Amino acid sequence: MNTKNQLWCTWSGIAFAILFTVGFWPISHFMPPPSPTMSAAEVAGMYSANTNQIRFGLLVMMGASGLILPFTAAIAAQMKRMEDAPSILTYLQLASGTLGAVFFIVPCVLWSVAAFRPERAPDLIHLMNDAGWMLFLMPFTTFIVQNFAIGIAVLGDKSAQPVFPRWLGFFNFWVAVLFVPGGLLTFFKTGPFAWNGLMAFWVPFVVFFTWYIVMFVFMRKGILAQAAGRPA
Amino acid sequence: MANMAAAQSDEHIPGEAGVWVFILGDMVVFALLFGAFVYYRAADVPLFASAQLSLNQSLGALNTLLLLTSSWFVVHGVEAVRARRAALARGMLAAAFACGVGFMLVKYFEYGEKLRAGFTITSNDFFMYYYLLTGIHLLHVTIGMAVLAYLWQRLRSANDIDAQLSAVESGASFWHMVDILWILLFALVYMMR
Repeated sequence: MNTKNQLWCTWSGIAFAILFTVGFWPISHFMPPPSPTMSAAEVAGMYSANTNQIRFGLLVMMGASGLILPFTAAIAAQMKRMEDAPSILTYLQLASGTLGAVFFIVPCVLWSVAAFRPERAPDLIHLMNDAGWMLFLMPFTTFIVQNFAIGIAVLGDKSAQPVFPRWLGFFNFWVAVLFVPGGLLTFFKTGPFAWNGLMAFWVPFVVFFTWYIVMFVFMRKGILAQAAGRPA
Repeated sequence: MANMAAAQSDEHIPGEAGVWVFILGDMVVFALLFGAFVYYRAADVPLFASAQLSLNQSLGALNTLLLLTSSWFVVHGVEAVRARRAALARGMLAAAFACGVGFMLVKYFEYGEKLRAGFTITSNDFFMYYYLLTGIHLLHVTIGMAVLAYLWQRLRSANDIDAQLSAVESGASFWHMVDILWILLFALVYMMR
């Protein structure tokens, strides 16, 4: 049994959360997000004022996002212990978690395109900035599929000593619900459903990283219990 | 089921404890949404007050009545499971489900009325909240009805009705939450002056 590898993969989720936040917040200054109401000139001004800082922050964020993959694989390894063959929810989680990483990596590239030639026409920078933020916060679907796959597997774990506590399954359903409002940002430039608003940004952002910490704690517990050959 | 022991202890939590993580979490989300509504309303009271006049309070009250009735049926469904009367319990859950269908029909006519009058999600801030809050709530009604149907099916195929109590209580707790949230929503969006 690869206890060591499993633990490394689990810790990589924490590394992702920290590195991504550092790139996003203190380096790129993308926190709080630039308002969707900013004009093309204002957005272009933001990219030309902090060009290299934004480039470097995005590089850190993009690099950090690769760490989503080992974390997703570690979740799959624990889920496989909950499920009877064929472990379809495990596969579903692996697929949706992997696809989810795309929505962290590709926005970083789009924002990098905006920062690549900050002297170009402001309208084009405006467009690329919109594309980055919308790709980053709007696609809730893969995350919901991932959370539901985990939640259903946890509740379906009928062994006498389940891998995860049952409430963690309901917690995953709750997290899924909180990602839905992000999809509404396509209608709004101000208010709680705009991409810098309470329901489209702040709540999903906080909940997403809380989910990483909570999952980390119980995955680590589950892996150590598995290694010791005792129930979690 | 492993959680039956917990369900029958002295400090009784309805349903399994885990489902309350979801229910309380969901209520936090609605608290944020209601808070946002009140916050933005305070910024433009005349707009919200005048737009509110175009809502149909009778249909809103009818929906309140439908959900309260459905909760009454659900309570009696849980009682019936405790009394080991599976057929009665299924009848009660079916009646609650029918109230849910009624709720959706009323909403269908209410939305139709608003859209024909030219009020859409982008008309103004009030209607943005009106459509979003009622829409997110309607999604919860749909999930709740799916849960009721699932429980109905479980009660039909189960040999041991006692083993169904925890699941029925969990689903019932969720349904009551959907009911309570509607009452708050009705008071805030339709009634608050």
